[in-house]
Amino acid sequence: MIETTFWRGSVPRVRPLLGTVAAASFVVASYMALVWAPTDAVQGDVYRILYVHVPLAWLAYLAFVIVFLASIGWLWTKRPVFDAIAVASAEIGVLFTGLFLVAGSIWAKPTWGVWWTWEPRLVTTAIMFVMYVGYLLLRGLSTDFSRRATRAAVFGIVAVIDVPIVHLSVLWANSLHQLPTVLRVAGSPALDTPMLVTLMVSLGAYTLIYAYFMSARVSLELARQGRLWTRT
Amino acid sequence: MTGLGRIGLVAVRELRAERREPDGIVAAVTFIAVLVLLESLVVGPVVARDADIAPALFWIALAFATILATMRSFDRELEDDALEGLVALPGGRDALFGGKVVAIAVVLAIVALVGGLLSLVLLDLPLALPLHLVVVVVLGVVALPPVVVVDVVLALRLRARAALVPILALPVLVPQLVAASRGASAAIAGDAVGALSWAGLLFAFAVVYGVIGLTIVPAAIE
Repeated sequence: MIETTFWRGSVPRVRPLLGTVAAASFVVASYMALVWAPTDAVQGDVYRILYVHVPLAWLAYLAFVIVFLASIGWLWTKRPVFDAIAVASAEIGVLFTGLFLVAGSIWAKPTWGVWWTWEPRLVTTAIMFVMYVGYLLLRGLSTDFSRRATRAAVFGIVAVIDVPIVHLSVLWANSLHQLPTVLRVAGSPALDTPMLVTLMVSLGAYTLIYAYFMSARVSLELARQGRLWTRT
Repeated sequence: MTGLGRIGLVAVRELRAERREPDGIVAAVTFIAVLVLLESLVVGPVVARDADIAPALFWIALAFATILATMRSFDRELEDDALEGLVALPGGRDALFGGKVVAIAVVLAIVALVGGLLSLVLLDLPLALPLHLVVVVVLGVVALPPVVVVDVVLALRLRARAALVPILALPVLVPQLVAASRGASAAIAGDAVGALSWAGLLFAFAVVYGVIGLTIVPAAIE
């Protein structure tokens, strides 16, 4: 009941404001990424795709971790809101992973000379993408609400193991992909301060976009669930 | 009866059913034999003997054989309407998952033995560390079924199940397939440390997915 009031009352009221803030922060982040941040000494301007690629990657990880947590929530409590959060986050995660792969590919062509190479980070990311497409497929093929939510929740828990594998693949294997520059095991981020600030602003902007998408999609899913309950 | 006893009971029941109607094991063995034969035709006899290529193709074939054997095992339950009775018993869901995993691992061991011998003989693979290879194969055989049984349970009674199970299972199986292939390659090439470290990873994945399966799969069987 509390969550219904929250998602159907408070969230729709706040959503236009959230959307405006997300759009404004996206404009600021784009300006900083394209104009304010300095040119890289080695890669030149092509490195600026980092300000799209890295936030998309982090948000994709976050989205799938949210799927995992919401899946546990559903199995534990059987509250429909958890299923709505899981499906919303999975769809956004798939979208962000797809964009993250495309952005990475566009970056790879001028720096590595190829659109795609069979190296661990790329392959594990593509596998993560396919895995969550499978998650959505599993949902799409189930008709009964409760069974669909339970099946999807189990798969959402199993699939999350791929997220750390994707992130750590560059450390475990000899990789063409560069090592982490922000979340480094030893030492501070290997980025100039203006570059780091721009990256953090971009990350904030994409997080707000994720939050906006989530609020819209969860409300939609709850409305859909409500129609299903009314029909049955 | 303890949980382990129930798991053993379901596994024995499953293996008896497999012995009575060995269509699952026959299909899996035939499948892996055909793939071994096709391998040298498709990639050429020289490439097929490569210490990296032969194990990789073998484990991919074994992953598909696991899917085949597991789906056949659950189809048999559905055809005989046996699933409802089993699930209704106290602890039946845990036992169903555990028993299926154990039984499929036994079936898979037979399939791996036949497929492995065929690969070694037909491809004339120079095997440097046979005992290490056995360790890798045993742990690989144990690491594959938990994931596949989870995915077959999730896709139970769904339309397009035959297409859905490989889509769900194969991406999750990637770390196990990489570890098993690299471990087998290392054993063939004579790298004892490499073979054992990949075998350790296989053991870890078997434990992780076994525990996850026993914890959450009962919830998925409705």
